[in-house]
Amino acid sequence: MTAEPIMTDLTVDYYESLGRGQLVVQECGDCGALIMYPRYRCTECFSSNLGWRQVEGGGILHSFTIMRLGAPSGYEADLPYAVGIVKLDEGPQLLGRLWPGEDGTWDDYVCDARVTFKSAPAADVASRPAPWFERAKS
Amino acid sequence: MTDVLDHELPFPEPGTAADAAFVGIGEIPSGKFPDRTFMGALVEVSARAILDAGLAPRDIDTVLLIPCLHGGRDQADLIFSRLVEELGLNGRAKSSMMIHSGGSTSDSATRVAAGLVASGQARNVLIAQADKWGSAPVTEMVDMLSGFGIPREWEVPSGVTFNAVGGLITQRYMHATGSTAEEMASVCVALRQWARLNPNAMFKDKDLTIERVLTSKMISDPVHALECPMLADGAVALVMTSATSARRNHDSWVRIAGSGGTVSHYSLGQERDLAVMNWPRAGREAYEQAGWGPEDVDLAQVYDSYAAVLAQGLEGLGLAAEGEAARQFAAGRFSPGGELPANTNGGLLSAGHTGVGGGTALLAEGVRQLLWRAEPERQVEGATRAVIGGTGGTYMDSQVMLLERVTR
Ligand SMILES: [Zn+2]
Repeated sequence: MTAEPIMTDLTVDYYESLGRGQLVVQECGDCGALIMYPRYRCTECFSSNLGWRQVEGGGILHSFTIMRLGAPSGYEADLPYAVGIVKLDEGPQLLGRLWPGEDGTWDDYVCDARVTFKSAPAADVASRPAPWFERAKS
Repeated sequence: MTDVLDHELPFPEPGTAADAAFVGIGEIPSGKFPDRTFMGALVEVSARAILDAGLAPRDIDTVLLIPCLHGGRDQADLIFSRLVEELGLNGRAKSSMMIHSGGSTSDSATRVAAGLVASGQARNVLIAQADKWGSAPVTEMVDMLSGFGIPREWEVPSGVTFNAVGGLITQRYMHATGSTAEEMASVCVALRQWARLNPNAMFKDKDLTIERVLTSKMISDPVHALECPMLADGAVALVMTSATSARRNHDSWVRIAGSGGTVSHYSLGQERDLAVMNWPRAGREAYEQAGWGPEDVDLAQVYDSYAAVLAQGLEGLGLAAEGEAARQFAAGRFSPGGELPANTNGGLLSAGHTGVGGGTALLAEGVRQLLWRAEPERQVEGATRAVIGGTGGTYMDSQVMLLERVTR
């Protein structure tokens, strides 16, 4: 895939939290806005006084898809796998991977279903810093 | 916050020197043509468009290049004025530049060309596009499409591709509207019916049925293989000038009655509503400028890399009731002989996805229809008003051009 550098100044804390099994979003120290994805300045008030806030991890699945064919290089062995867009209860939204259910499928998932953050093992997150979500137990 | 729509934007008076006009089109067939060279295709469509405009190459003072996606060297050739030299415009052309906003580039190029004409900075503008996407190595292109336009810090680690993006949008659209798999597939079938009437379409010789779509392999739920756009080689060019010069050389031409646009996101994961995007706002701006509305439209040419992308565009632009576009496709409303012809060239899904050129081909077909120069079996009789809708990247923007036919 692309070998170009990523914005390590913005990612370092976020990736480190993911590696510890925690999901954080950016928080503006001036206006209190919660921001995702992380930015260089607050998208509400333009402040650069930005920190982090750990979120509960619960949210609503806006949409999802199950990749079955045509994965990018390096992801072929993962097929099939699912990605979804989650609107966190705190407001911000983000895209991440979805855990299959106990039957190994994503049949339980539906748009607007409740999901919760459940991290992948640290080693996996280290090589691929993606947030993982599972279907919330009702 | 003041909405941009609250401000009155100055728009050229029809028929004046500031009123930009489409006067020429050039196009060659889309598909897989490994032996057709990139520059050969680009020069061919440019020559056709210039001659179609009743001009000589030396009349072109501004060249706007639409990017190619198949390779960096050809892209660099475009940027560094190779087409100027190939057309013998050296020492004559005032400027040659690339405009790029992905799939909505044709809309952006139209804006730029019209602005240059309106401000007196250009007389005759050539907009030219060529791509070899259909002949490029597939793995390389898949990797490019999972690495470009998808944020590498936040979304690439999840393994997103453009077909996944199509799956995410389609899933939400079907959930929000209650559209069935058959209704989504019918969008592709309707486009194929149009493509069968277009000699330049990639799939002009292949019929398609709902059953074939739904029995093709699942790629990225709920999108099947035959619901994904096929990468194609293709080339198209257009010429724009002012209404005053159009009147000197032509009996009919096409003007921009209104335009609107909204850029909604960079990351698909930041889009608030995948079933709607920002079409309603962009459409409102354009219709207000034009002084006419969806009920006056004779045909629509709206970006269609996936059925849901087209369906939500038609709905947001008021050309179908909210949530009803796919069902109306199934009922034949947008097909040949239907009430509102849509994507009469076959669109990206059936004429071929020529990279950034897919939107350019939709635009060129809209202009062609309004000039009454489409082949008789697909010409929309008496068409005078067309809606052009474009979007780029992960459907990062909603761009609208309202075109109307003018006669001397
Ligand atoms: Zn702030």
